[in-house]
Amino acid sequence: MSVTRRLALRLLGVAVRHSSSESQEWARAMLSELDFIESDWAALFWALGSARAIFKYSLPRQLRAWLGKRSSQEEGPMLKLIRRNAAGTLSGIGIAVGVLVAAFGLVRGLLVIFPASTLKGVESAEMLALIVLPETIFVVAAVALWRKRRPMAVGLVLSAVILVAHVVVHLTTH
Amino acid sequence: MKLRLSPQTLQVLDAFLQVPKDWIYGYDISRNTGLKSGTLYPILMRLAERKLLETSWEMAEVGRPPRHMYRLTPEGMRFAKEHHLQPPTRRLARVAFDGMDI
Repeated sequence: MSVTRRLALRLLGVAVRHSSSESQEWARAMLSELDFIESDWAALFWALGSARAIFKYSLPRQLRAWLGKRSSQEEGPMLKLIRRNAAGTLSGIGIAVGVLVAAFGLVRGLLVIFPASTLKGVESAEMLALIVLPETIFVVAAVALWRKRRPMAVGLVLSAVILVAHVVVHLTTH
Repeated sequence: MKLRLSPQTLQVLDAFLQVPKDWIYGYDISRNTGLKSGTLYPILMRLAERKLLETSWEMAEVGRPPRHMYRLTPEGMRFAKEHHLQPPTRRLARVAFDGMDI
């Protein structure tokens, strides 16, 4: 057997081995025709064309099958987990905002009932009610929830950090 | 899905119409139509996917691999006859002969 024909056989053999299951029969058909081609060069060109046809048919199908498998096996649970974590974090932030709004409302209500001119140390009381108390609530709640509801605890910690950063920026600029 | 009727597909259908009831080998179609294997086989695959072509393995002689053979299905035959177009060269030739007084 000549080198050219051996090369043709080897090339088409590789293409047959790597073809998709749907194109296996066709790949074997092209390979078997090789034995009936008299000229070695014609056989090589036949093998080249056949290999191209096999890969053109097989590659998109194999890629689609692989992507489909991946999405059904990995992306489903992953998406669910991401959605659950995002919902937990957002609910933690929501609780923190609720606590802050309640504290702010309480302070404003008390100032309406007891005007600032009649009270001593209003600023420190305001600071205590709006910053220290909510921060303490956030940290305690985050520690308590860390094991069972970590995304919610993360939301609370995030809110606490944002509040501290806001206070720091406020104090440095004023 | 609609079958793309390229000139090459029409050539293949024409090759089958020349021997409507016979089984044909891939290499023979390639030689008759002048199409390379890389063009011919995707066409055969598409025709078979749409049930216009039936395939079969021929029992081989000793020491030779079995060969894949092809034949149009009745539906494929109808389709081929419906979409059969004369190649431009042959059409021109016919016009030329029709115009001659023999």
